[in-house]
Amino acid sequence: MSSASSLVVLDNGAYTAKIGFSSDEEPKLIQNCIAKAKSERRKQFIGNQYEDCRDLSGLYYLLPFQKGYLVNWDVQRQVWEHIFGKEVMNLEPPETSIIITEPYFNFGSIQDAMNEVFFEEYQFQAIHRTNAGTLSAFRCKKEPPKELCCMVVDSGYSFTHIAPYYDGKKVGNAIRRINVGGKLLTNHLKEILSYRQLHVMDETYVINQVKEDVCYVSSQFMPDMEITKLKGAENTIVRDYVLPDFQQIRRGYVKDESSASSANEQCVSLQIIRMNNERFSVPELLFNPSDVSIQEMGIPEAIVHCIGLVEEEMRPHLYKNILLTGGNSLFPGFKERVERDVRAMAPLNYDVRVTLPEKPITYSWQGGKLFSAAENFKELCVTKKEYEEYGQSICLEKFDV
Amino acid sequence: MVMAEAKTKQGSSRLKDANSRKILDQYSRAKRLRKQLEALEQDNFQEDPHIHLNTPNKKLPQFDADEGAPTKKKRKTTRGDHFKQRFRKTFASLVEEEQMSLKEPPNYMTACIPQSKFPARKFCSVCGNPSNYTCVTCGSRYCCVRCLGTHQDTRCLKWTA
Repeated sequence: MSSASSLVVLDNGAYTAKIGFSSDEEPKLIQNCIAKAKSERRKQFIGNQYEDCRDLSGLYYLLPFQKGYLVNWDVQRQVWEHIFGKEVMNLEPPETSIIITEPYFNFGSIQDAMNEVFFEEYQFQAIHRTNAGTLSAFRCKKEPPKELCCMVVDSGYSFTHIAPYYDGKKVGNAIRRINVGGKLLTNHLKEILSYRQLHVMDETYVINQVKEDVCYVSSQFMPDMEITKLKGAENTIVRDYVLPDFQQIRRGYVKDESSASSANEQCVSLQIIRMNNERFSVPELLFNPSDVSIQEMGIPEAIVHCIGLVEEEMRPHLYKNILLTGGNSLFPGFKERVERDVRAMAPLNYDVRVTLPEKPITYSWQGGKLFSAAENFKELCVTKKEYEEYGQSICLEKFDV
Repeated sequence: MVMAEAKTKQGSSRLKDANSRKILDQYSRAKRLRKQLEALEQDNFQEDPHIHLNTPNKKLPQFDADEGAPTKKKRKTTRGDHFKQRFRKTFASLVEEEQMSLKEPPNYMTACIPQSKFPARKFCSVCGNPSNYTCVTCGSRYCCVRCLGTHQDTRCLKWTA
């Protein structure tokens, strides 16, 4: 498995770490956290180990990231050790090169710590640090229609970044961040459900699944709002969601309308949450953060704003190639809404084209895989020898983070 | 005289009620909003389920350990502590450090997206429907008398989150 020199790509997200050898078809998705369960005393679940836990109610998270930046190194190193170790990748760091991703505008001291951990603690042969968006843009450039410019919209767990790229290079002064991500959406859903229906503040894990299962992005917000006020069969939006009890039901699901009457007597014991306007008003925060008094632009307005910051010659090319990545772009209707709103705000004579890749979460990992096969890849790495010779400065020079 | 007093009392009961109600000033409203937004960033709402467990104290003397082991162990922990001290920084201190470092513009602070050009929409704090009214006391939004009642009974001036 670990041949003379293998190469690993690690897209180290705040929620999931995407890792795999450059020869793998798909990366492995590992939860970047340590979880503690109420039922399992004196045991911690690192990465995906929580899948073995029987009772996932009230799962408690230790997260390495805060507001999108690596802060809790103790947690992160435990997760990394788990990932590199026998249970997941079974790496031999001294014989391995690695591509690691970081958030945009990563803080200086975190960058220093990254170099130190990867060279001195794990002793990797060579490393290349970059932004996940850069890898996405690299892949976008290589694949048809091979546009020169690319507007990467990366909407992840901690925040959303809008980053214009020209020929694979980011336009640093036009990158903007919206402080709305999946974590905020889940917390908001938890909060409104706890106030309106059932106390679920402790159930981050379960409510995140509810969000993934039934939330969608509305393309006609106010009309949908009117539909949710209707009663009975006229309300086509409302869904009853059966919560897991971790006895009989391990995962929550949407209650089927048709079988509702037949299984009625059984339903008495089920815990049900009624999802009405919550279904679309939660993802709506990505488009209108001001709905919860966050004084920021939504994604479409931010795209238009950022394109306005670059040189005029580049603008039509960016409008033509908007690329959606990150977990939030999996909400049904996300792409259509971005396309519609950007079209409405963009100058008339520009074409607007929005692309949603098939797997937006692993898109940048695939970009990293492609990048590792590039001709100049070796030159862009820093080897352990170079690090020992020149220290942090060579990393600052070579890596464009 | 008594009659007249009673009458004025009756006539102004609503006004009096409104006057006697405490009205939150803008600072406490802003503070409340900040708390709400901070709650949206929290990792966990509940406390650590293992916090009350008595984890076996590793510093208890181990009588069966041989003589050479303790020194070796000590060196290892100091190495870890060194790492922790240099890199253990909270998010706030990282931002502060960045502000002090005077790096050229594109950095964490300048990358924040500005406020939207469009006016904020208002939604009922109780049911989430579009709302037209503001609670006089605390500034929350509501959409109908029923929701106002719920709001006053639960959250108005009783914010606990």
